[in-house]
Amino acid sequence: MNGAHRRGARIRLAIAGAATIALLGPLTWFWYDSLMPESYSVMDMGYADYGGAAPHHGAHHMPGGRSVTALTADPDRTADVAVNLIARKQRFRLPTGRSVDGYTLNGTSPGPVIHATAGQLVQVTLVNESVPDGITLHWHGLDVPNAMDGVAGVTQDAVGVGKSFTYRFVADQVGTFWYHSHQVSHEQVRRGLLGALVVAPASGPRPGTVDVVALLHLYGGARTVNGREGDVRVQARPGERVRVRVVNTENGQTPVWVGGSPFRLVAVDGTDLHEPAPVRDTAVLLTAGGRADLEVTMPADGSAVRVHIGGPGGVVLGSRTYDAPAVRRPTKTLDLLAYGRPAPLGFDPEAASRRFDYDIGRRPGFLDGRPGIWWTVNGHMFPDVPMFVVAEGDVVRMRVSNNSGETHPMHLHGHHAVVLSRDGVRATGSPWWVDSLEVGNGETYEIAFVADNPGVWMDHCHNLPHAAEGLVAHLMYEGVTTPFTVGGTADNEPE
Amino acid sequence: MRTVYKVLAYLVAIEVAVQAMAVVFADAGMGKWVEQGGVLDKAVMESDESPFPEVIGFMIHGINGMMVIPLIALLLLISSFFTKIPGAVKAAALVVVLVAIQVSLGLAGHEIPAVGALHGLNALLLFSAAVYAAFRGRGAGADAVSQPQSIRTVG
Repeated sequence: MNGAHRRGARIRLAIAGAATIALLGPLTWFWYDSLMPESYSVMDMGYADYGGAAPHHGAHHMPGGRSVTALTADPDRTADVAVNLIARKQRFRLPTGRSVDGYTLNGTSPGPVIHATAGQLVQVTLVNESVPDGITLHWHGLDVPNAMDGVAGVTQDAVGVGKSFTYRFVADQVGTFWYHSHQVSHEQVRRGLLGALVVAPASGPRPGTVDVVALLHLYGGARTVNGREGDVRVQARPGERVRVRVVNTENGQTPVWVGGSPFRLVAVDGTDLHEPAPVRDTAVLLTAGGRADLEVTMPADGSAVRVHIGGPGGVVLGSRTYDAPAVRRPTKTLDLLAYGRPAPLGFDPEAASRRFDYDIGRRPGFLDGRPGIWWTVNGHMFPDVPMFVVAEGDVVRMRVSNNSGETHPMHLHGHHAVVLSRDGVRATGSPWWVDSLEVGNGETYEIAFVADNPGVWMDHCHNLPHAAEGLVAHLMYEGVTTPFTVGGTADNEPE
Repeated sequence: MRTVYKVLAYLVAIEVAVQAMAVVFADAGMGKWVEQGGVLDKAVMESDESPFPEVIGFMIHGINGMMVIPLIALLLLISSFFTKIPGAVKAAALVVVLVAIQVSLGLAGHEIPAVGALHGLNALLLFSAAVYAAFRGRGAGADAVSQPQSIRTVG
């Protein structure tokens, strides 16, 4: 009887052990399978998606071809605008006295506003004095040559302490842009490695126009405009036109609205809108990473105007007085799908030679060994994400849909895409060109662009922690390769 | 193993209580911050750095709910395989299922707030299931020891 009991106990134990293995075995396998190598090329990541076209050179996973390092601005041309930026890890003070432990460029955060005129060659020498993880600079919204795109591990190595890197590009787009580190970006951007960049038209600024940059950033939870908590005051006389260039450097969208005057939204993401009409009692929802240029004509009676950026604070425009009471956020939000008047796009989206889906979801799993509920692209979790492959000259259509439960500001590097439709409703307003597009939960956007800037380009969520959680894919051109790797000796970590 | 099972079951219950406390703590902190002039929008919500100190409650709720509690529930299920407590596997499996439902409801609540209300209700079910599992461990413990003895006397 004792023997039978012992045998029973042994069987019990065996069943318990088998059940444990049945439970933990697959989990261990999924965990192990998710571990990333110490160093990898984004070109070997995931699977190639040719967008319905036949691969010409079997580009994905194939060595050879043109290196991204060769995709530069004319090396013989001298710089028209030369800027040195020295990056430091340091404790610094906001103008209001708040102490911030973060990073600076030339001793300040945000870094200096870089001004250029259309057609000028901009040369920025970045020196890393003391940022331990290394740094890069990405020119957000400027469709620069790929070698200058500043993505650590894709277009360059992170610039280590004591090293420098020179960026050169022709500023041929007129508008509002910004720059930020693309090395450990979810941490370095938040802590201050960023600044604004404005490209003025070659014809010069319009007479009678005041031009203001209003860069939104949160330092240690404190909301600032141009690094200042509270209002930024700008002098503008009655009748003058003021262009307020609002830059959202944050990870979430923010509403912008105007009290005391109607306004026109004259540009989005560095591209002028066509014939935008004046609006009032309407808010503009500014995508994370996006820019909105608002134009206000100062009231003739000399009263002040308040441009709200996400709250009661923002930019106060005035001359005799700066007394502009805060107004509530209007309930109405400007719909860019039907704002302004149509104009030729310069290409035919119906003649698309590649069609891609970028479907964002979410599911439980392991990301580099970390359990969690992670983002997916077309049902696949990072790094098993699509590599969108195009050839130079292709007209590309992309359907971006989001069923992940959260909104995502999607940012395509190196290109501007035009919005064709949202949830099946066609765009009927001004051409709406974006580099950062807020795709709300449950929404589907159709966008189109011309593949005219060869390289390997990130196409990711600009809620930067989401990118670090795997919401990253790439767009690559056939015949282009990158010698850089994520990880490796430079410890490249683009997200 | 019975003690391990019992402790893990109680841990789930305690963790559910911590979750309820953390989320209300953060919510109250947010209310106070707005009361004092703070403005909440998506940019603030997505900013890692806290505009008000109680925001840590939201972080605790997220990490606890999506990582720690599922892990404890999993360990509870494994420990149940090795105990002789009648119904232990069933009770632990119930806890695991309720945890899975709870995480799903929590995430879906961001999209459909009414589902968030069910998240609150399911928390009570999960708490009860965890306590039920723990009590099984306590009650059945004596049986598990006495049963073999009675067999021996007959044999």
